[in-house]
Amino acid sequence: MDIQIENLCKRYTSGGKTINALDDVTLTIPANKIFTLLGPSGCGKTTLLRCIVGLESPDSGEIRIGGETVWSGGNNIYVPPEKRGLGMVFQSYAIWPHMTVFDNVAYPLQTRKTDRAEIRRRVAKTLSFVQLEGFEDRPATKLSGGQQQRVALARALVAEPKVILFDEPLSNLDAKLREETRKDLRVFLTELGITAVYVTHDRIEALALSDLIAVMRNGRIIEKGTPRDIYFHSEHNFVADFIGRTNLIDGVVKSREADATTVECPLGEVRCASQADIAPGDKVVLSLRPEFLHIAEDGAAPEDGTANRITGRIDSLVFVGEAMEGEVLVGDTRLFVKVRPDSELKEGDAVSMTVTPAHCLLLTK
Amino acid sequence: MYAKHSKLTPTLIAIVGFLTVCPVAMLVIGSFSTNLGTLGGFTLDKYIEAYTDPELLGIIVNTLIFVLGSSFLATALALFLSYLNNRTDIPFKFMFRVISIIPMMIPHILFSVSWVLLLNPSNGIINLFLRQVLGMEGGLNVYSLEGMILVEGLLDLPIAYLIIAPAMASFDVALEESSRVCGGTPLRTLFRITLPVLRPAIMAAFILSLVRSLASFAVPSVIGMPGRIYVLSTHIYRAVSTGFSADYGKAAALGMVVLASSITLIYLYRFMTRESEKYVTISSRGYRPTVIRLKGARYPMFAVVGLLSFVLIVLPVLVLFYTSMVPYSMVPSAKAFSMMSWRHWLAVINDPISLLSLKNSVILGVGGATLGIFLSIFVAYVIVKVRTPASGLLESLSFLSFSFPGIVIGVGFMWFFVQTPLYATLWALLIGYIATYLPYGVRPLASAFVQVHSHLEESSLVCGASRVQTMRRIVIPLLVPGIVSGWILMATMFVRELTLSVVLSRPGTEVLAVQILRFSEDGLWGRLSALGIIMIFISTALVVLASWVGAKFKPVQEE
Repeated sequence: MDIQIENLCKRYTSGGKTINALDDVTLTIPANKIFTLLGPSGCGKTTLLRCIVGLESPDSGEIRIGGETVWSGGNNIYVPPEKRGLGMVFQSYAIWPHMTVFDNVAYPLQTRKTDRAEIRRRVAKTLSFVQLEGFEDRPATKLSGGQQQRVALARALVAEPKVILFDEPLSNLDAKLREETRKDLRVFLTELGITAVYVTHDRIEALALSDLIAVMRNGRIIEKGTPRDIYFHSEHNFVADFIGRTNLIDGVVKSREADATTVECPLGEVRCASQADIAPGDKVVLSLRPEFLHIAEDGAAPEDGTANRITGRIDSLVFVGEAMEGEVLVGDTRLFVKVRPDSELKEGDAVSMTVTPAHCLLLTK
Repeated sequence: MYAKHSKLTPTLIAIVGFLTVCPVAMLVIGSFSTNLGTLGGFTLDKYIEAYTDPELLGIIVNTLIFVLGSSFLATALALFLSYLNNRTDIPFKFMFRVISIIPMMIPHILFSVSWVLLLNPSNGIINLFLRQVLGMEGGLNVYSLEGMILVEGLLDLPIAYLIIAPAMASFDVALEESSRVCGGTPLRTLFRITLPVLRPAIMAAFILSLVRSLASFAVPSVIGMPGRIYVLSTHIYRAVSTGFSADYGKAAALGMVVLASSITLIYLYRFMTRESEKYVTISSRGYRPTVIRLKGARYPMFAVVGLLSFVLIVLPVLVLFYTSMVPYSMVPSAKAFSMMSWRHWLAVINDPISLLSLKNSVILGVGGATLGIFLSIFVAYVIVKVRTPASGLLESLSFLSFSFPGIVIGVGFMWFFVQTPLYATLWALLIGYIATYLPYGVRPLASAFVQVHSHLEESSLVCGASRVQTMRRIVIPLLVPGIVSGWILMATMFVRELTLSVVLSRPGTEVLAVQILRFSEDGLWGRLSALGIIMIFISTALVVLASWVGAKFKPVQEE
């Protein structure tokens, strides 16, 4: 089922100030995809999710799930959460402490008046799906964080909803478990082929898990696309910075040709990937991700005629295990770079870096 | 490092053990003895006499109705209030803090008396109003089981609220929200999720109310006895205070049942609070709780809360003050105001026994609370910081007196004090008070000690300070808030103490609450009210004084 959101607005007043939690959000979440709402805390992503599930009411706008209007400010329609037939995994899992695993998972079926034998069968099936066979009689308080997370998932899935919502479900797990669960979740959701709406502030989670990402800020959706789109071709400098580390440099478009755009900036003239909606004289921001700044050691630069060459001096270099993270001073501009961990470079060395035009992004917003 | 505690812990166990085990042991021995002062004469007669009394069955039924009814009322009201406070947008939320704290300053006996003044069938102010102004026949009768349940329920409300409200506040709202998303209606969510998750806290509040109403003496004596409705506590009181010879053996035999049920309940309570903590810890930082919009019901709901706080706080004081000024019971009117005078106040000030009771209560309040807190500091220190099996024993011992019904423990102490020169001295009352109210000093200090992290002490030791210096410079200053609140709690409890005192107080050692009970038995409502107002004034003055001293000694002045 797809979800359509039109002109959704929601305002809070706290301490005399009005906050736009949702500022005229219009969005279509396509059916059977993993859709992620990504953004810093307070950007409105959780509010949007809670409006979809019905735990919160927007001030105006409309929400349709699979064609059925579940909330409409204009037509005064409000379908309460229990009638929307969705599944949701909460940040705190919200596992009911006074019940066993079985009771927790069976609850959605009991509310739907399913018969007992059927409940038993489907709970068993769902628990085995999340790899918790044999945990039926375990009290919910006697579960580890990862197990609670999977009980919450089982509970959300057991009634076979057409849409499942996740509110930062991995944020309470430790780093290693989070990575494993993320992979499992991707496998589960792909296998089920249902619409999943996922809220997170963790860019890696969003990139690894999603089919589509919408980045939010201040109650607005500012960019939407596949993980690759967002990473490589973001238009907005907030998005480019939020989705991964990058160097942002102000510049002015000097000329535009068929295959490349040249930008004048503190690094000199940089040839960038061509972009249609830019004219000479426009102010732009150049985004250079550290992983694409190749440092040529001992002057052995790859001979690529089109690559930009930037020279500078290493200002600092820190060994972090998998790499060395450094800063290179080019004139007055500081560039964040990554260097092979076994490199012989040291602070104060003069270096020359190459970066191909395809990896020099121009941000216009 | 803990070498000197090897002496401290056993010393404390001996002191606290004496305070708590002695009255219980004496109660047991006394129940098998022929009469006061004749220990050793073993007999089962007292049990036979006490439990074959044909009246007893009715008294037990009354006790059950009274105890269950008032606990149910207190818990239901507390649940309602904490729900309103934590989960709705009801205005003026500071009212809930007032409701949970201020009623503790009004002594139970005065609260009960004020209801008698309002609702007694012959000249209660409300009844007079119904008859004279509205021309109604009859009226309401407070001297009934319903009246007792109402007043006791209101008295136990603050304590029930203090247990339920924190549980409600730490309740993870996501538990309810996920039920809604799973298809549960609001009603189903309430009964399948909200109430079951809160059940340990609700049960704890209910059980504590049971213990308190079982031990309650103010309501049964002031409201029950005039209506000839006896419950176990007044039945025991009758055995020791009326008739030609007080029968302490029979009282002890009767007290055994009360004490046993009380101790059982208090351990059940302890189990429940642990259970409730277990439920609470698993909830995590959730989303900011959604507040239920009361919309049109906002102000009507607030009116209910306002009425409750009026009834709990303003009304009793107002009624007492009014009664102390008018010559006899009458409906407030121009005539009543014209007849107001300080007559009753002058009578109290010129009454030597009232003055003596005033002096005794202040001595017991200030002296008892100071000694009690001194003991509590060491007990709390050992319980929190010295974690050995012996300190566990100390904790259980000091917790035991939490369950002590004053009148029963008073009978136990009576059997002990008669053997000693302490009989009929203020020391007897002092020892009894500290034994019965020790947990009220230990609890705030124990939580204060929990906050003094051991690293703070250790770093002082590493800096070269001795243990004593560390205690004086680091630990004590950090404990000041705990000491102050413990002292206030104990002092106010002691100034108003009634149940233990009615048994232990003798001519010469009268205390305020007992004197007020005498006035109430004699129907001297005017003097009673004047003395009552003085009593409230003293309690309040002690609270203000202690807070002021506490603020002076605060280690860091808050900006």
